[in-house]
Amino acid sequence: MASRGGGRGRGRGQLTFNVEAVGIGKGDALPPPTLQPSPLFPPLEFYPVPLPSGEEGEYVLALKQELRGAMRQLPYFIRPAVPKRDVERYSDKYQMSGPVDNAIDWNPDWRRLPRELKIRVRKLQKEREYIWKNGRREEVTKDCLPPLALLLSPHNLRESQLLFHQEYSLQSKLQQEGKAQAWNDVMERKETDYIMSYFDNGEDFGGDSDDNMDEAIY
Amino acid sequence: MTQAEIKLCSLLLQEHFGEIVEKIGVHLIRTGSQPLRVIAHDTGTSLDQVKKALCVLIQHNLVTYQVHKRGVVEYEAQCSRVLRMLRYPRYIYTSKTLYSDTGELIVEELLLNGKMTMSAVVKKVADRLTETMEDGKTMDYAEVSNTFVRLADTHFVQRCPLVPATENSDPGPPPPAPTLVINEKDMYLVPKLSLIGKGKRRRSSEEDAAGEPKAKRLKHTTENKEPIPDDGIYWQANLDRFHQHFRDQTIVSAVANRMDQTSSEIVRTMLRMSEITTPSCAPFTQPLSSNEIFRSLPVGYNISKQVLDQYLTLLADDPLEFVGKSGDSGGGMYVINLHKALASLATATLESVVQERFGSRCARIFRLVLQKKHLEQKQVEDFAMIPAKEAKDMLYKMLSENFISLQEIPKTPDHAPSRTFYLYTVNILSAARMLLHRCYKSIANLIERRQFETKENKRLLEKSQRVEAIIASMQATGAEEEQLQEIEEMITAPERQQLETLKRNVNKLDASEIQVDETIFLLESYIESTMKR
Repeated sequence: MASRGGGRGRGRGQLTFNVEAVGIGKGDALPPPTLQPSPLFPPLEFYPVPLPSGEEGEYVLALKQELRGAMRQLPYFIRPAVPKRDVERYSDKYQMSGPVDNAIDWNPDWRRLPRELKIRVRKLQKEREYIWKNGRREEVTKDCLPPLALLLSPHNLRESQLLFHQEYSLQSKLQQEGKAQAWNDVMERKETDYIMSYFDNGEDFGGDSDDNMDEAIY
Repeated sequence: MTQAEIKLCSLLLQEHFGEIVEKIGVHLIRTGSQPLRVIAHDTGTSLDQVKKALCVLIQHNLVTYQVHKRGVVEYEAQCSRVLRMLRYPRYIYTSKTLYSDTGELIVEELLLNGKMTMSAVVKKVADRLTETMEDGKTMDYAEVSNTFVRLADTHFVQRCPLVPATENSDPGPPPPAPTLVINEKDMYLVPKLSLIGKGKRRRSSEEDAAGEPKAKRLKHTTENKEPIPDDGIYWQANLDRFHQHFRDQTIVSAVANRMDQTSSEIVRTMLRMSEITTPSCAPFTQPLSSNEIFRSLPVGYNISKQVLDQYLTLLADDPLEFVGKSGDSGGGMYVINLHKALASLATATLESVVQERFGSRCARIFRLVLQKKHLEQKQVEDFAMIPAKEAKDMLYKMLSENFISLQEIPKTPDHAPSRTFYLYTVNILSAARMLLHRCYKSIANLIERRQFETKENKRLLEKSQRVEAIIASMQATGAEEEQLQEIEEMITAPERQQLETLKRNVNKLDASEIQVDETIFLLESYIESTMKR
């Protein structure tokens, strides 16, 4: 259009409204143009008013921090699954593990919730050992152990490998904490006779920084 | 929902419920009502995780569901309810001031767990109180029940909507989700329970190390299925009632600041009398006669009837119009103008913000424009008695931050700029909304900064926690002073310094959050009250 042209034609510098009405008098210097965005933290002209202190303020503050900590410990806090480690380790079986099979830690009242939200918990089946004998699967009881030759037959080997993998995949599917709580040495969880630090992998050794240390590490 | 609100909701959900719940919650807030499979597909999380997250959110009253046609259940998130999570400490502190420790713990349990049955609450609170009491003493269930009943009578806790009892003649398969109903009359009805028992102290770890391992003990307690007498009747904290209480408190303290203690007591009495009779969103309370007020004054106050009348007249004549006179019967009928009170409080907040941000001369101009409603540039300079250049500068600063707005009044029908009046004015409602939006942003910033500070020093925090745990366990087993000294020296002096600084900063940030939340409450109440008129 003819009136365009980069604002260099007639009437350059005119605005659509009467500038005096807004308070800029004739001949007054306009403020310099802004060439960059305003700073991220503009300088504070006036110092902010101090926060209210006193018994009430401190109590509410302590309450808030306590609540934050408490809510992290409740079963409602859902931790994301820790990504699978590179190699499955024996100690994984005895480390802390989350709820079985994605079930919920707490029991909501299922009558109040839509039916589709109910998560069916697969009860861990009683582990029965099966073996292939004469083309049929038979249960192995403790009294009569099958001979070694039968155990080493290809079908049974495959079965046992499958079971082995199944157990490990189940364990790694269980949500694990990032690291077993370091000082939780009390015997618990899997009814073992060993304290938790027995199952320490050794992966966490040497992770802390070594400043303030005069001697070398061997 | 504005971006600032969504961001704040996301931070709150993440802090209190973890990342999975946060993802689902924020998705629902952003997109509105959605069925289960769509949520799973859009967020890319597994169906099981979504189900877990939804269970948690529904339990805490943050998400509601609705059955649509063809049996599809849709879930909707309540953004404003998520923002209430900031106020939990204030609710708990209020119940402590009103009903002491027992009330505090009851409300805390209800808020932490979303909804609970009365028997469960009573049992848990009794156990917790017993922990803190001296050896040998236990907390009786009856006392806790009494406090619970009092909380229900004053409407601080209410029943959740119930699953309707289905008759046996219901044909067809059960519905995919229950439709919960609640009868107004039954909302505060406490079921007749005979809860007899005492709080149990949690056995210390030494005792059960010798006994069965913990895993077996847990199984025992879950198999202990006694029929619960109030099964299905769940209670939740009534946040609206708490808000009403906060509002009343603010009005009373405003009157105390403006006038004196006695007038604030009178206003407090009037508010207390209209607590249950007036709905919380009414613009003014029911009219109360001066005789009624006189009879309901607290026992310690012996002011004569004439003095009371004088105070009431004084309050009614005050330009702030907190109290209004609505009639002359019964010695004078007085109401409290709740809406006007909230408007004055919001205006005072705005004035205070302008003063602290821009200085007292700006505040003078702001108050001037508020009072005179519309002013031209020249008039502002004259009335405020501030030189033109500075007045112009200040007005533009406030204009750029949207505290003040320009109103155009054309002289001619063609709206020619040279023949138009430009008037400065303050639109309280829009300025309040703008300030509220800023508050949401600032709380989000505060939370982010706090999380950043904590993450920076995570290693140091963990180390200090471990050292404390060691010291505690060593003290329990009886160690010598030197050993304790040695362990304490594991944290060096500069590290201690760092920890101190961190603690101070985190406390300051937390206290700021609480403070900003108070402003949010005022502004939200004002906006809500204006919208409901």
